[in-house]
Amino acid sequence: MSYYLGLLQLIGVHTLLGLSAYVLMLTGQLSLGQAGFFAIGAYSAGILTVIFELPILPALLAGALIAAFFAFLVGFPALRVKGLMLVVATIAFSEFVRLFFFNLSWRVPRGDIHVGPDSTNGFREIRYFVANGWSAWEITTFVWIFVILVMAALWWMDRSRAGAVLRAVGEDELAAQSAGINLTAVKVTAMTAGGFIAGIGGALYAHTATYVDHLTFTVLLATFAISYPILGGLSSVFGTLVAVIFIQGVLVEGLRFLGDWRNIVFGLLIIAAMNLKPSGLFDARTTLLLRRSVGLGGRE
Amino acid sequence: MIDFVQNTVDGIMFGSSYALLAIGFTIVFGVLRRINLAFGASIMLGAYAGTWLHVHYQVNVLVVALTTLVCTVLAGIYVERLCFRAIRRDAALASMVSSFVIWMQLEEAAVHLLPERTYAFPSFFVAGSFELGPFLFRGEQTTMLVLAALMVGALHLLLRHTRFGLALRAVSESPRAAAYMGIDTAWVMLCAFALVSLVGGVAGFAILATDEQITPFFGLWATFKGLIAMMLGGMGSLPGAVLGGLLLGVIEAHAQWYLGNEYKDLSAYLLLFAMLVLRPGGILGQRIHGREALAFRRV
Repeated sequence: MSYYLGLLQLIGVHTLLGLSAYVLMLTGQLSLGQAGFFAIGAYSAGILTVIFELPILPALLAGALIAAFFAFLVGFPALRVKGLMLVVATIAFSEFVRLFFFNLSWRVPRGDIHVGPDSTNGFREIRYFVANGWSAWEITTFVWIFVILVMAALWWMDRSRAGAVLRAVGEDELAAQSAGINLTAVKVTAMTAGGFIAGIGGALYAHTATYVDHLTFTVLLATFAISYPILGGLSSVFGTLVAVIFIQGVLVEGLRFLGDWRNIVFGLLIIAAMNLKPSGLFDARTTLLLRRSVGLGGRE
Repeated sequence: MIDFVQNTVDGIMFGSSYALLAIGFTIVFGVLRRINLAFGASIMLGAYAGTWLHVHYQVNVLVVALTTLVCTVLAGIYVERLCFRAIRRDAALASMVSSFVIWMQLEEAAVHLLPERTYAFPSFFVAGSFELGPFLFRGEQTTMLVLAALMVGALHLLLRHTRFGLALRAVSESPRAAAYMGIDTAWVMLCAFALVSLVGGVAGFAILATDEQITPFFGLWATFKGLIAMMLGGMGSLPGAVLGGLLLGVIEAHAQWYLGNEYKDLSAYLLLFAMLVLRPGGILGQRIHGREALAFRRV
């Protein structure tokens, strides 16, 4: 049972990671920096609960805000670059963050041991949940409350004017600008929101895993982050959730029996999906078909 | 002062291999307008095949070099078929993601071939070092520089003075116009992939023979170094790739010397981020950048 709860927590955390990339992709920005914001959230929240002994909620919120602040800072210069250049610029950012934590050592004595980030050895003692006697059920519920909150907020935003503005920028920047949309404000806001969501995800990840090190936050994680919305399509937040369940729940776990050969088969399956549906498993057409088949009608 | 010049010289020597990796990215980007993130991994798979022969059959260094080259080219063609040919031209994003997934796949294959963490890689020959005035030149690094210079020269001849080079340049200028002129663009793309894999194979062999060891981290390392060097120099520009590679080598050598080992990679990423923000086209790629900015508005 605890295995499935662990998987559920992982799916929750990765959904947050995917959603952080989803917000950015609505504005047409593709960022491989999400792993960096995720790392900032994870380390900040971990340091706050371990070294400063804060409760989980303020630590989590602070971690998310710190990640959002860095996303805000990255947002401005990154505005100047687009497309593949932005991809590489954000890779550079997230590798920079990873190397920073690789070198970060901040040990404080706690009883008869030392706790805190220990550069190459990672950050081992993020045991807030264990220390406070949370059960696996409670942790899973805690994670999913945040996933549902973020998904609801994004779903609501998609249906408001803000969603229309984001999508307008994603479709055609020039047209959006002519319609009086402030590109800088929209893009930096999206970047900051993405950083905030990734920060929550990172903070939750650090506490569910109890251990993080710099190798957790490689460009592989960033690729996962953008794969979810790409695979799930941009028509709704549920695409991302389905893609996370498909990749983490079905592919990664379901292929575990293949042992070491898993990555090879995993790769082939993703490539097949990309070849058959370059704009995502849930592109506009599939969504329409699905909506019709369950009797929801459908917007043309 | 002597330290400064010595570091610069070392940087240029090692940067020459970065330049070859950057050329691999630049040519693919020029022809396909896409980034091949599996480039480093295909080199690694080739090198692993060579090392495998070396470990199990103790073949000599020439055979290792040849195997590395052939297998790198084969891996490159595999990547082209799966990630670039099959996916529609307008889905550059899907291509990039799948090339990254291929990276995982090739790395896994390489690790299966040789499951240990580190293997010895044969060096070229026992080359001593020589001194020129107060400066020290290491034999392997000098060989690397010469090899890189020869490769760049050969590539220049190939691209500027043969029909294939003309076709390749035509396709990078405009694939549609090239197709109207009767150029088989699909074939040119395949050849371009084989060509850059060959260049990458030479670079990989030179780097590994200098380091005399190979680890599974080599693939990602090569991808990042090539990508950074290409971005510094300018996307799609051959002289830019060479310049970017040498610059990266020099910067890393200085950062390592003056700031310490842990700042070597940090400084490279910081430089790249600053460059992309201040001059997104790289040193020599501003003209191309202007054109690309239009084409890539919606990637």
